[in-house]
Amino acid sequence: MGGGVVMRSVQFVCRGLKGRSSQEWLPYKALLALFLLATQAQAATYFLTVAGLGGEPDYETRFNLLATDADKLLRSGGGDRVVETLKGPDATKAKLTAALTKIAGTAKIPDVFILMMIGHGTFDGTEYKFNLPGPDITGTELAALLNKIPAGRQLVVDMTSASGGVTPALKHDGRTVITATKSGSEKNATIFARYWVEALRDPSADTDKNETVTALEAYKYASTKTAAFFTEQKRLATEHSVLEDQPRAAAFPLIRYGAAAAKVTDPAKQALVAKKEDIENRIDALKYQKDLMAPEDYKRQISALLLELARTQEALEK
Amino acid sequence: MTRLGLGLLVGLSLVAQQPAAPKKAVPSNDPRLAAGLATAEALWKSGDFEGASKAFGAIVVADPANANYRVRWGQLFFERFNPGEATKLYLEALAIDDKNPQAWLGLAEVQAEEFNSKASEAADKALALDPKLYKAHEIKARMALEDDDHKTAAAECDEALKIEPNAVQAIAIHASVDLLADKPSTWTAKIANRAEGFDTIAHFFVLNRRYEDGIDYYRKAIAADPKLWRAHAQLGVNLMRLGLAGEARTELELCYENHYRDAATVNTLRLMDTYVDYKTYESPGIVLKLHKKEDEALRPYFEAEIRRAMAVFEKKYQHKLPQPVQVEVYPNHEDFAVRTMGMPGLGALGVTFHGISGNAIAMDSPSGRPPGQFHWASTLWHELSHMYILSLTNDRVVRWFTEGLAVHEETATIPDWGDRITPDIIIAIRDKKLLPVAEIDRGFIHPKFPEQVIVSYFEAGKMCDYIAKRWGEGKLLDIAREFAKNRPTVDVIRDQLKIEPEAFDKDFLADLEKETEVTVKNFKEWTTGLGEVNKLARATPPDNDAIVTKGRALEFFYPDYVEAGNAYVLVAKALLAKGDKPGAMAEYAKYSKNSGRDADTIKAYADLLKESGNSTQAEKELERLNAINPLDRNLHERLGALYLATNQAPLAAREFGAVVALNPIDVAGSHYNLAMAFKAQGLIDKAREETLTALEAAPDFRPAQKLLLQLESAAEPKK
Repeated sequence: MGGGVVMRSVQFVCRGLKGRSSQEWLPYKALLALFLLATQAQAATYFLTVAGLGGEPDYETRFNLLATDADKLLRSGGGDRVVETLKGPDATKAKLTAALTKIAGTAKIPDVFILMMIGHGTFDGTEYKFNLPGPDITGTELAALLNKIPAGRQLVVDMTSASGGVTPALKHDGRTVITATKSGSEKNATIFARYWVEALRDPSADTDKNETVTALEAYKYASTKTAAFFTEQKRLATEHSVLEDQPRAAAFPLIRYGAAAAKVTDPAKQALVAKKEDIENRIDALKYQKDLMAPEDYKRQISALLLELARTQEALEK
Repeated sequence: MTRLGLGLLVGLSLVAQQPAAPKKAVPSNDPRLAAGLATAEALWKSGDFEGASKAFGAIVVADPANANYRVRWGQLFFERFNPGEATKLYLEALAIDDKNPQAWLGLAEVQAEEFNSKASEAADKALALDPKLYKAHEIKARMALEDDDHKTAAAECDEALKIEPNAVQAIAIHASVDLLADKPSTWTAKIANRAEGFDTIAHFFVLNRRYEDGIDYYRKAIAADPKLWRAHAQLGVNLMRLGLAGEARTELELCYENHYRDAATVNTLRLMDTYVDYKTYESPGIVLKLHKKEDEALRPYFEAEIRRAMAVFEKKYQHKLPQPVQVEVYPNHEDFAVRTMGMPGLGALGVTFHGISGNAIAMDSPSGRPPGQFHWASTLWHELSHMYILSLTNDRVVRWFTEGLAVHEETATIPDWGDRITPDIIIAIRDKKLLPVAEIDRGFIHPKFPEQVIVSYFEAGKMCDYIAKRWGEGKLLDIAREFAKNRPTVDVIRDQLKIEPEAFDKDFLADLEKETEVTVKNFKEWTTGLGEVNKLARATPPDNDAIVTKGRALEFFYPDYVEAGNAYVLVAKALLAKGDKPGAMAEYAKYSKNSGRDADTIKAYADLLKESGNSTQAEKELERLNAINPLDRNLHERLGALYLATNQAPLAAREFGAVVALNPIDVAGSHYNLAMAFKAQGLIDKAREETLTALEAAPDFRPAQKLLLQLESAAEPKK
């Protein structure tokens, strides 16, 4: 087994990747381990949420409410974080530019930057635009501003209509992009943002129950609920969200709650910590082998390991 | 919601694409056109329908002013399952020559096929232009018999026979009149083994839901002419209706292989191919067929509701079904429509087929329509009522009574189910469009205005409500037993209610008008007021006092209105904004009592009830939603938690089990909840199993870890 912290980080990611075969995502392990290693350091997370121009009172209200909810949830999300939100008449290109420039001047390489865009977007076949009061901002302009932010890990969640059109402009090392639509040609107003914000509030979005909702978990929650909405309403789906790099998204914690970040400092319990990590690794390894094992054999072994893990955790908490 | 025709619209099958013995188009003096026409006719006769159609097309282009060519081309389209194109060509012909009797006759045929009441007008026009067109009398006879008007049907047949003594449809319709009345018929022999005559008799049996008899006559038609593919197709469709899928498939494939590929045949075969995606659950008295994508989630609710309804109906109708009831649930509405009619586009929610050799209830799944628009449990009760009444009356019951009784049953046991009076119905009452009891069947078969089917369901249901109110619930069973003797409505009303049908109509309408007086009288004001209150609610900030005052007035005008923008929800929200929770709860209670079905509204009400300490009522309200959308994960999570908190662990397990069956996003949390419900019942092994599943998904899930340790401890032998 490798060093505790690194391996532990890998497991954390594993649990956010249910449904992906071990072979499929094993190459990401080292990279993810590095990401999460960085997370262990005293890195700050910068959140910027922007609710664009509604155009109609209904959309205006809806976008502002979503941004307000997101702001409130993110502020109480735990850890070292800086949260800023632009909405209504404040969500202008000038103020967005200023906010991004300010973050560019403050953030450091180990930091994390997360931009969430709510509203309408357009795509003319070449250029994406995020609709704001006054002049819109193009994808290219946005990319130029983001490129000035030194934070080594960036996440852009563009939840507007036609947001799929922004992806080429935003491609950059260290940047993960989530869009509400698969291309710029999906032009209807989107509902993805509603479920994305809901994921920040709903504990069931935390599927691995580690008291942290990651961008991957929020994405899966929102994309599943968006798809279900169209199915239930018997409507043709007019949006198909995209997240190309799922393992990276698992490394963006959005909300932490409970004792997730609590560290064990008692030296007497370090052996138990190591044991716990060892069991967790064995559980992951066993899961990778599941398809190759006799069901009864798998069940017996996983049950034993899960029980051992529960007992170890209990001992740790004594 | 607006019900688009519930149940038992069966028998309205698109049968006989059977053009009336057409007069061939008169050959032109132009030798090229004459040759073209001869070619078209020869190709048609040889079975090259595409070639014939092209040939007709060519002569129509060459001589566009010739209405007869278009009529003949239309007849080809009608025969080859394309009534839309046929109609277009007949109308084009009439635009050229509105005195073309064959064009009017063709139009009448297509319209009659589509149960369009205008067919009678078209037939009259054809007869006015050519009084010798006995086929027009046959069409009118057919329509009259479809409306259960035996007298007119017989008279029209007689008119046809005066012109053509050997007219097979007239003879067959005469025979049908006798056979439907269970009388021996001298007309049957006059059919003289002509397949199309037997085919027509079969059509009328099927229309009257006597599938077994219909099947027998389709078999006779096939015996008389083994190449009458239309009869093979209908035999297949009707065997399928009784759940006899094996023979049905053989017949339909035979049609297909012989190039008889009407929509019903092709659609039904395609549907049969999807049956591998369904799972069948058999239990005493019940065969339940569910789609694999939702079977585990739906099964507990459907089985429980079928059992509950059967127990109620067995007692109420004093009748036990002689064979298990088969319930088929279709997540794709068009599959249900094809199952029912062989055609997509059916507005019904459920349909019942009953026979001695088999039976089936086919219905939409809760997933077949947007949530909140469909009360599946209400539909199920409606259809099961049909099943009992059809069985009890040996399929002799008249349409209005079985439909009315089924609508009555939707709310008789559970008053907050069922559909409420819709604006269309209010308008029909206001405009005096309800039909007398002796004629109400016409409203189901040949509606004269688009909403008449819906209005007829409502009216029939209200008639049964009225009978139950005035003569007692038991009188409905007495009436059903009289219909079992194959007696007409007017006789049954006289004998059972000791009142003339006209007097019944008068009393019933007086009662209904009194009941709906406020709504009908204030309908216009309500319509305007609803718009105004919704506008007030959208304002920033909303004028909550005005919403409450005006909204309550609207509730008084039209208490049954619980659809989009209804006053109850607006008033409740306004009261909540004013901090008046008890007031809001009272509004939600009214909404629920009047069959309000919006999940978010009912959940908000349940939250308030729970908050006020009334968990029992909160559970009841959420249970109501299970009868509407049991595929709502969030509903099951809420209800499961409530049941667990109120020590009703088996119900909690059912709810959390439903969550697990619905492929939740939160796998670990769902299995953990189910484990808790099992633990509360003392089912340690099951609880352990679920806990391990939760932990497999999320190994560090602390509550599940703690539960696992507790369960291990509980399972250890005591020292």
